[in-house]
Amino acid sequence: MFDAIALQTEPVAAWTALAPALLLGLTGLVLLGIDTVSPKETSNTLLAGVSAAGSLLAFGVAAWFLVAGTGQVRTGGAISLYGDTLVVDGMSLFFTLIFTIVTAMVAVASYDYLREQSHRAEFYSLVLFAATGMTMMSMANSLATVFISLELASLPSYALVAFLKKNRGSVEAGLKYFLIGSVSSGVMVFGISLVYAVTGSLVLGDVAAAIGDTEMAGVLGMGVLMIVGGVAYKTASVPFHFWAPEAYEGAPAPISAFLSSASKAAGFAVAFRVFVEAFPLGAIPAGVDWVLAFQVLAVVTMTLGNFAAATQENVKRMLAYSSIGHAGYALIGLAALTAGGPNASVLGASMAHLLVYGFMNTGAFLFIALVEHWGVGRTFEDYNGLASTAPIAAVAMTVFMFSLAGLPPFGGFLSKYALFFSAIEAGFWWLAAVGAINSALSLFYYSRVVKAMWIESPAEDFEITSRPVGLYAAVLFAGLATLLLLPAFGPVIETAQAVAAALF
Amino acid sequence: MAGILDFAPAIVLLPFVSFLVALAVGDRLPKGGAYAGIAATAGSLVLSIATVLTVAGGQTYDATIYTWAEGLEAVDLTFGVLIDPLSAMMLLIVTLVAFLVHVFSLGYMNDEGETGLPRYYAGLGLFTASMLGFVVADNLLMAFMFFELVGLCSYLLIGFHFREPGPPSAAKKAFLVTRFGDYFFLVGVVAVFATFGTASFVGSESFPALAEAALRGEASVTTFGFAPQTWFTIVGLLVLGGVIGKSAQFPLHTWLPDAMEGPTPVSALIHAATMVAAGVYLVARMYGFYAVSPTALAIIAFVGGFTALFAATMGLVKREIKQVLAYSTISQYGYMMLALGGGGYVAATFHLMTHAFFKALLFLGAGSVIIAMHHNENMWDMGGLKDKMPVTYYTFLSGSLALAGIFPFAGFWSKDEVLYETLLHGLDGNPILLGAYAMGLLAVFFTGFYTFRMVFLTFHGKPRTQTAEDPHGVRWNVKFPLAVLGVLAAVAGLVNMVPVAELTGLHIEFLHTWLEHGYAGLTTEHYSTLLQDFAGYGAAGLHLSPLLPGAVSLGLALAGSGLAYLLYNVPEPVRHTDRLGGIKKVLYNNYYQDEYQVWLANGVTRPVARAANKFDGGVVDGVVNGVSGVSLFAGGRVRRIQTGVVSNYAVLLTLGLTALLLAFGILGGWFV
Repeated sequence: MFDAIALQTEPVAAWTALAPALLLGLTGLVLLGIDTVSPKETSNTLLAGVSAAGSLLAFGVAAWFLVAGTGQVRTGGAISLYGDTLVVDGMSLFFTLIFTIVTAMVAVASYDYLREQSHRAEFYSLVLFAATGMTMMSMANSLATVFISLELASLPSYALVAFLKKNRGSVEAGLKYFLIGSVSSGVMVFGISLVYAVTGSLVLGDVAAAIGDTEMAGVLGMGVLMIVGGVAYKTASVPFHFWAPEAYEGAPAPISAFLSSASKAAGFAVAFRVFVEAFPLGAIPAGVDWVLAFQVLAVVTMTLGNFAAATQENVKRMLAYSSIGHAGYALIGLAALTAGGPNASVLGASMAHLLVYGFMNTGAFLFIALVEHWGVGRTFEDYNGLASTAPIAAVAMTVFMFSLAGLPPFGGFLSKYALFFSAIEAGFWWLAAVGAINSALSLFYYSRVVKAMWIESPAEDFEITSRPVGLYAAVLFAGLATLLLLPAFGPVIETAQAVAAALF
Repeated sequence: MAGILDFAPAIVLLPFVSFLVALAVGDRLPKGGAYAGIAATAGSLVLSIATVLTVAGGQTYDATIYTWAEGLEAVDLTFGVLIDPLSAMMLLIVTLVAFLVHVFSLGYMNDEGETGLPRYYAGLGLFTASMLGFVVADNLLMAFMFFELVGLCSYLLIGFHFREPGPPSAAKKAFLVTRFGDYFFLVGVVAVFATFGTASFVGSESFPALAEAALRGEASVTTFGFAPQTWFTIVGLLVLGGVIGKSAQFPLHTWLPDAMEGPTPVSALIHAATMVAAGVYLVARMYGFYAVSPTALAIIAFVGGFTALFAATMGLVKREIKQVLAYSTISQYGYMMLALGGGGYVAATFHLMTHAFFKALLFLGAGSVIIAMHHNENMWDMGGLKDKMPVTYYTFLSGSLALAGIFPFAGFWSKDEVLYETLLHGLDGNPILLGAYAMGLLAVFFTGFYTFRMVFLTFHGKPRTQTAEDPHGVRWNVKFPLAVLGVLAAVAGLVNMVPVAELTGLHIEFLHTWLEHGYAGLTTEHYSTLLQDFAGYGAAGLHLSPLLPGAVSLGLALAGSGLAYLLYNVPEPVRHTDRLGGIKKVLYNNYYQDEYQVWLANGVTRPVARAANKFDGGVVDGVVNGVSGVSLFAGGRVRRIQTGVVSNYAVLLTLGLTALLLAFGILGGWFV
């Protein structure tokens, strides 16, 4: 049945392939509409419900497309739209899955988190607009759409980080995020202009065709490196990572989850497509070695992220740095590419890691949201003995921590394993070795959380009275998914590597 | 169609359930969970009988139950059940012995007022379940996992009386020594996977079949630069490491006599049907793989023959009844290995079966004697028990006649066939086999001697102590298992009377017929072809009558028994060991095997371990501590960089980008 629909390429208009992005955008508009109709007494349940339903619908459509083969090799390849500026293919659908499911979890969790806040409709619609932007990022096939969709994802994010207007930390974080984001955007757009100067085109395919015989390798190199900078900003990689700890710490915890999982994945989606399509390894002139740049970034990012995480006292900030460390792991997907190597399996492993990461990291930040909701403190010591009061949530958090550290029997184990294994396969055993050493180090600070929750005894009794349904549901869902992704990892990695293969 | 064979997993699961029951609610059940164990093993026994009958009808069964790791490009790791004539026969043996041991335990443990019974019955249940899981395993990895479980259970049960000094130490020894062998086994399993990409026992894609195809040039496998046959020999010998450990073959036999510290029913289970049998069964299970490697076969045969003789001599001088039996076990498993190495697949299986019956019988008989003697095991304190415990005596006698290999008891037929097959293939121009045969033959004499020395010292003559004059009585739960096994020890040999078949021309070699059907790659005919093609066994087409070798070995057994009769069947037997002179001391000390292994551990391993520890403590820990120290320090620095002032960030970001641009620009020659 699925195949039948997918194969009817003619009767269905090509723009319908954008359905996930359109659904997300529409949901955002509907939320604004609801707010306009009854600005005073908008029901929190309705808003959260519509957001979750919209993103789940988009998730469902993306999953259906992925299963049915829309935009994939078996149904005639990628669907190009609007003069090749957007493209729907397996990779964009795969990333859309990550964005939409994270959005749904964040929307459900925000239901409780926002109970006391005003301007809830704006919050939800901003989340959905950001998600729309991320989906566009994964489809962007021209440097112009790359930049615009990146801004579409970023601008709502700035507002969301600063959402708690009366909280100094939140406002300060939002401003810092905005300033660093502006600088980075400036760098990136400058890089794009340099590339345009060299190649005379913004469409990725045309850029690739033009770079081969350019004489301006230096200009091109600078442009490429500046685009690397823009990507590094979005993925929170060194040296564009400075905003991340501040923004994640200051932002409302569901937004930290959203940014560190979905937004980061969107950065990788752009990076994968731009570098593989516009600057393919076979055609790039000598001297413009972006793989080397990513290798440097990967090693520095994972090392710095993990080292810094090890010394934090604040759990949320520790997670922020751990998220930087994970960006370093995911960068292996670009750093281990070689001309003629097993590139699809490297890139696919990185994509699969991002998917698993989407669950375990979102879950971890949502657990922080839960703890913030309860009014328990922020440091490791404040978590002491939490398991005795909230055992189920503590079990879920333990799952996230061990999965982030890459221990079996959780999804994070296999995704990290596949990532390092593919790096070794591609001949970059040293990248895998650095990653493994960093993973071992990460166990130190992840297990500190677990130790605090389960082994230490609390200084005083917790005053936890509520059991917020939305937060619990989101955390438990993420925990369950992290667990289930171990047995279900086979299809995930196969899909990821298949859709990655279509890029090369 | 759901046949009886679809219930095969239940044979394994029933004792496992009894393990869970005994563990969870054993202390609230009557008899500490004994009845649950008896019911479970009885159920397994009934299912096994049904299985054997179905297999006799020509059916076989091979199904993958659970794939626990797949999608790893190279291999899938599975649990599966393989029921063919060999495993069906073994299922019957294991469930029967386990059932009888459970019943016997009622008398040995419950009636003697032991504590910790739930733990005991839980251990027995898990032990039985592991062994049954091992028997039905359809691939080498699953076999390995259950093999390890068997080892764990024997550790738990040997150390059952963990408050006394001896048992925990014996349990550790059993665990560590067999673990030493299992190391090689594990490497062998990995090697099998790496070579063939499968560890399955059965089918055209099984590793024995692939090995054969590779040698015939019909398939290619990864052999890591070795000639295929050399590599298969290496892999086979690695797996054999586990076999030598578990089946207590020289030089890893030292754990077994110590394992007598466990409760006697456990010894019966270990020696007859589970732990020790597992090793030999493994070789039989993957015989197609060994059959293509003459070197491995020769080593197996030689180790087996040597162990048979070596252990028999050590059994000559022991004072304790269970020690004699322990060495006899080592020696008898030596015979099975000898048969396997000598190309006598059926003979080995046959001896495995008869030995299971008579050795379980002897241990349970010894247990009965030990109950009677108030847990004194020294034979010199016994004597004259014959009239006081007739059931024990006559059944024990039946087992002893079988062990000594006296016509027409079970052991005679099987041991005779072992020796006959080895001799036949040795005469093909295989001097190693002939040497192994000679050792095996010589061991027959010693076997007869130590067996009847034990019988006469225990049951004949006059009571030498107060206890022996007035022994403790035993109940039905002791006598029933003895009676069943006593009958089996007498008649089990009748299933495969090769010499009689030869003499009369009747087709009464039922075991041969039994093992001839089943999966094409697992039949005796296939193994004979392999042995002939690759090892040259039977290539010369010799024909040898089984009568003369049979007569020779019977003569030797009778001679040994007769000597024991002369020396010890007197009212007041005395120690004759002094006549052995210096040899006596050597024998008492088991050829200093333990001593040299302790020396190996203390004199060689410990300094190496100490050096490794120093390296680990100094260098590895130093590096690790260094890394964590550096990382915490560096982490602190990073925290300081993260000032919170946004303009600093912008500066650092720009500087970072500039550094990257400069570095790559210079590297890439952009500024030229």
